[in-house]
Amino acid sequence: MALNFYRRVAFGLSPNETEPSEPLDWALDQLNSVPDFLWPGSIPTEKEMRNKLAEWVYGDREVIRKKYKNDINAYEKAKDELRIKTGERFFELNEHAIRHYQTKNSQQPVFERFWLFWGNHFAISEKDFLAEFSTGPYQREIIRPNMVKTFEDMVQSVTTSWCMIHHLDNSQSVGPNSKSKQWNPRDTINENHARELLELHTVSPSAGYTQEDVIQLAYIMTGWSQKYTNKGLETGDVWFDQDRHQTGEKKVLGVKYKNDAKRELPRVIHDLATHPVCIKFVSTKLCRHFITDDPTEEMVRPVIDVWNKYDGNLIEIQKEVVRQAYKYRDLTYKFQVPEVWLMQLSKIFDLNIPLIPFRMNYDFKTKPSHSQRRLSWWLHEIGHSPYRPKQPNGWSDFEVDWVSPELLLRRLWFSSNILPKMIKSKNYNHDFTLECLKKNFDDYERMSLLIKNFNSDTKLKEESDMISKYGIICNLPGVLKA
Amino acid sequence: MNCTRRNFLIGASSTLFFSGFYPKISFANIEKKNLIIISLRGGMDGLTAVPVIGDKRLKKLRKQLILENTLKLNSDFALHPKLEIFHKLWEEDKAAFVHATNIPYTGRSHFDGQNLMETGAHTPYQEKTGWLGRGLLASEIIGKGLAISLPMPLLLRGVPQNNNFFPSPDYVQTKLIDAIHNEFSGDHNELIKSTLSTIKKRPLSMQIATNSQDRNNLAREAAKQLKDPNGPRVAVFELDGFDTHTAQGGNNGAHADELEEVNNIVKILYKNLGSSFDNTLILTLTEFGRTIKQNGGFGTEHGYGSAILMAGGLLKKSQVYTDWPGLKKKNLFEGRDLNSTIDARAVYNSAMSICFNKDPEFLKREVFWGDDLPDLTQDLFKI
Repeated sequence: MALNFYRRVAFGLSPNETEPSEPLDWALDQLNSVPDFLWPGSIPTEKEMRNKLAEWVYGDREVIRKKYKNDINAYEKAKDELRIKTGERFFELNEHAIRHYQTKNSQQPVFERFWLFWGNHFAISEKDFLAEFSTGPYQREIIRPNMVKTFEDMVQSVTTSWCMIHHLDNSQSVGPNSKSKQWNPRDTINENHARELLELHTVSPSAGYTQEDVIQLAYIMTGWSQKYTNKGLETGDVWFDQDRHQTGEKKVLGVKYKNDAKRELPRVIHDLATHPVCIKFVSTKLCRHFITDDPTEEMVRPVIDVWNKYDGNLIEIQKEVVRQAYKYRDLTYKFQVPEVWLMQLSKIFDLNIPLIPFRMNYDFKTKPSHSQRRLSWWLHEIGHSPYRPKQPNGWSDFEVDWVSPELLLRRLWFSSNILPKMIKSKNYNHDFTLECLKKNFDDYERMSLLIKNFNSDTKLKEESDMISKYGIICNLPGVLKA
Repeated sequence: MNCTRRNFLIGASSTLFFSGFYPKISFANIEKKNLIIISLRGGMDGLTAVPVIGDKRLKKLRKQLILENTLKLNSDFALHPKLEIFHKLWEEDKAAFVHATNIPYTGRSHFDGQNLMETGAHTPYQEKTGWLGRGLLASEIIGKGLAISLPMPLLLRGVPQNNNFFPSPDYVQTKLIDAIHNEFSGDHNELIKSTLSTIKKRPLSMQIATNSQDRNNLAREAAKQLKDPNGPRVAVFELDGFDTHTAQGGNNGAHADELEEVNNIVKILYKNLGSSFDNTLILTLTEFGRTIKQNGGFGTEHGYGSAILMAGGLLKKSQVYTDWPGLKKKNLFEGRDLNSTIDARAVYNSAMSICFNKDPEFLKREVFWGDDLPDLTQDLFKI
């Protein structure tokens, strides 16, 4: 028995799933292809969302600002209506629903766990309007399709994505010897994106790069920017603007890059994404996410070897991580981060989370309903709003960052005050609950003992029983950890 | 150095009382002293918070970031207009600033920098505990740390039984907490076990749900706890958003908004701590300052030297404490950043020494590996 494996690399087993006879093969087979999105509701494209953004931030808001410039109350009212009309109030809620529908119902839950990992490795932090309009589509259209390609492919796509360029200000970066600089002498480079490409996305500080390396990489990246629309809005596609590009030879981490316009960036990304320090850094991070907070050399080494053998092929790399997670499943544990914990509970007990798709339909006339808003609100309250990490390094993989009195209390709050309201009628059946536990937890017998007094069949006590039952189950050591 | 009559009297009386020797003093009956740290994540621009007056070079390099109507401190420095409570406290000798200071970290990574500002170490990610947590532990002050944030900041880690206050939307049944506490008793996980014990011991007032979105409310609650003679002695606030690569702004704008938040917290603490404010030190903490020169997006890049904003009745006097390195190109760190001439850790070590009633030499050894950190207690604080 090592039932924790199904939560370690996925979200546990649902009531209608049978336990796989070969757990490792079950997991490995899930990584070969990109599963389709199952969400039957709206799945807007990234480009559509940029147009919506233009309507909101840069379009109509300017109009109403002028129109109501002498009447602040009327302006606030009109702005609120515009938020609703453009969907600003709705899109992030919908993205959460798409994401959680996938983790609950996907036939490849292991793939989905890795999807969450990469989305957090190449995190978009809470900035401007990105969480509302761009982060979700970025996760779906940039991160996801690259998970069956190479790590280098992933970095290339991420680095030139509209969302990341906006997030890390690369449109603001102008080469000191560029044409653009001559027209506007105040223009300078912006180091933000170059620094995070090195530090967070690829080689990490252990590569020992210098400030000069950051500047030189920023030079290479100059010109990669958002195209301005004819209204002067930065919602156009990402392109390479030669006029902003720093010409001449550059040198990053000792490697020279000859002056070659837009072809410089793919070359430097190739070198960074295949750098031994990068391979070690990302392999370690994968092991930390799936095996233990402090992965040992012998856990990480096989991942590095596979990375080298298959030239950064992510399918093979992820498979090796799963093999190691399987190998060490009894010897290590991972404290489950709040969002994953919530998704696991939803799957294991078949809760009404997320909202059923047809109720997620939005009329663009009224404020999203309470039930449409609640999943995002819960995520926020348990401390893990997935598309709003505070900083570009994303959410932590370390247990110690997720344990504080308030963080634990919020899980207790969620499982006793909220979760009992999200159950289906079958969950009132005590035997059903026991079946769910038996399928997912080695500690099943102790668990059933703990909740045996909360199985009354009288309506009167039912509610308080549910509060006690789920409050306890969901916060046991073996449930918080996997 | 100016020595006013008022300063002289304070100095004289404290010398008489304490006889000037740290280790010999018994502090048992002395009123509780509070140390409050406000973390400013993203890199706080010391030159925006505490601008130097009349520096032509700064004006030239920061055309779009020029401040108007700054609050004058002395002939050399002024304050950002959003920091009005500091100006008011300055008049009462209850605000002071350390300028051209930083932790000894010259890389420009937020995450390495923030790790080091919290651990106080030299190598990122090497230490797993914060200098404040180690300081509390060395001073045998256990269970008196309070974080006003959802996670437990690294800064406070290293001492058991820290608390945090960021209330959940509703009350959690005590019997449920007891049941989970009980189930963890057989678990190996010391961190969760001790955290659950802390939850069990929390005063009832901390379990009543309030709106955690309302920072002002949180600051009021923190003040209430700190005022309690048996309550926490250390509080940590968290602010982020200082990383203004674009549209940093001057009087208004992104950096000004963040400074306003700092001002709000200090204002609320001042108002609600009442007489306890006289036994309190509030200090800010950041990973680095920002470049002197603005960039093309009217923002600034990651720099080095910054400033520490200080408030509270335990300050010696209103002053800008600095060994000013100047802003000429040759004075700048790597030709681009305000230099750091004071190791910020010396300020924090001295502040802990005052608030925890411990010899600064002792704390330096226990907390900062005996690094060369001068004792600034006499210069900055009431002893």
